[in-house]
Amino acid sequence: MTVKVRVDGERCQGHTLCKMVAPDSFELDEIDGSSSPVSEVVPPDQEDAVREAVHSCPEQAIFIEETW
Amino acid sequence: MTSTENDRKKNRYHFDRHTPEYRPQFAKITEEMLEKCPVAWTDTYDGHWVAAGSKEVFELARCPAVSNHHDLTGETPYKGITIPTAKRSSGVRGGMLEMDDPEHRTYRNVLNPYLSPAAVARWEPFIDETVRACLDEKIADGQIDFVDDLANIVPAVLTLAMLGIPLKKWAMYSEPTHASVYTPEDSPDIERVLAMHREMGIDLLTTMVEIRDHPRPGLMNALLQMTIDGGPAPDLEILGMLGLIIGGGFDTTTALTAHSLEWLSGHPDQRELLSTDRDGLLDPATEEFLRFFTPAPGDGRTFSKDVEIEGNRFKEGERLWISWAMANRDPAVFHDPNEVVLDRKGNRHFSFGIGVHRCIGSNVARTVFKSMLTAVLDRMPDYRCDPDGAAHYETIGVIQGMRKLPATFTPGTRVGAGLDETLGKLQRICDEQELARPITERKEAAVID
Repeated sequence: MTVKVRVDGERCQGHTLCKMVAPDSFELDEIDGSSSPVSEVVPPDQEDAVREAVHSCPEQAIFIEETW
Repeated sequence: MTSTENDRKKNRYHFDRHTPEYRPQFAKITEEMLEKCPVAWTDTYDGHWVAAGSKEVFELARCPAVSNHHDLTGETPYKGITIPTAKRSSGVRGGMLEMDDPEHRTYRNVLNPYLSPAAVARWEPFIDETVRACLDEKIADGQIDFVDDLANIVPAVLTLAMLGIPLKKWAMYSEPTHASVYTPEDSPDIERVLAMHREMGIDLLTTMVEIRDHPRPGLMNALLQMTIDGGPAPDLEILGMLGLIIGGGFDTTTALTAHSLEWLSGHPDQRELLSTDRDGLLDPATEEFLRFFTPAPGDGRTFSKDVEIEGNRFKEGERLWISWAMANRDPAVFHDPNEVVLDRKGNRHFSFGIGVHRCIGSNVARTVFKSMLTAVLDRMPDYRCDPDGAAHYETIGVIQGMRKLPATFTPGTRVGAGLDETLGKLQRICDEQELARPITERKEAAVID
């Protein structure tokens, strides 16, 4: 299974919780703190943390897609 | 009232968050509203909607037909974020929090490079040093008031540093900022508070003129240099922005810190757990304290269009109270919502607001809070708060804060200079290293010699 992650840039308001729970999977813009995935395809050992980031996002701006 | 009006407002709840009874009844009121009427009409304060449910709060806070704008002429129903409109606020808008896009965005873009996670991280050594000095003032005594001696000082000192205002003025800014939140307009003390507030306002204006003539790095300079609609920002809007930065920067972090320290004193086993597993617990515990105590419990809005959301029909011009505090207790999102769960998962709390107005100081708040909390855990690990001396704000309609939190602990040894001497040193470091520059101009963290 491959897990892909996407941050909706319109929804993200820079709360930074994704970076807090999945520090290796997201990076924050230096100027406004908005988030983007480090890589679209989530390494298997980061999947749980990314799922936790999805649930922790106050703006519900993070989406994952699973393909087999 | 017509029958359609009655139908639209069929969910009614008498909601008055400004009474002293509200604080002890908060959990009960919240449970009732979440269960029976996650959105309700209340007749209090000329009538307004109250949103308590997490889903409704989430949708309303992000809805383009919901406005933050404050029309100072009073000719339109747009009254900004305060319900009821405070007498003191008339004359100046509450900065970008009382603006809609695109105006709000223009001001926000000016502040962002000073307040982003990367920008705030540069201040950590400065913050830690301020905290160290505050604790050194009290460490040998074995007693401290966590509000007066720590949580009031650090946020104020840092906010002034970021603005470009001399650090030694922190008390002149801190006292009226806190007191004007917790002093009711009919209190016998109000004249004294207003006088202090005027003194602060005059100093703010004087500093504005000074920085306009002789620019020095900081948020105030950024606001003076910015352009909007092809010209400089109006002085009154700059003043509103400064008021927002000071009001937002001071009282909220103080409130979070005091409540968290009080809770940890009452739960020594949890305190021990947090202290020994900081790598695992400090981040989630901080978010959980933010959720549970919600220092800024909500914001007012005005509907700018007729709109239907989650089955509720709202009309243009109607006022709305969005309760972050009640949404934070919604069992649909948070299991055991009335419990503090230090390692809570999926904690998508509402405490910094939702949508484009997300608290721009959120990174400052977290960083300052964590510095104060960890230093107390390090240096006063057995502290005990005195329940008889703890003073919560009598009314929590604006900020869920504390005025006093005395505590005792096993005395320790000083490790450095006291507060005044330290602030003198930090001022020199601020000036020499130009710490208040935006992240676009300065990347390095402060170096404390």
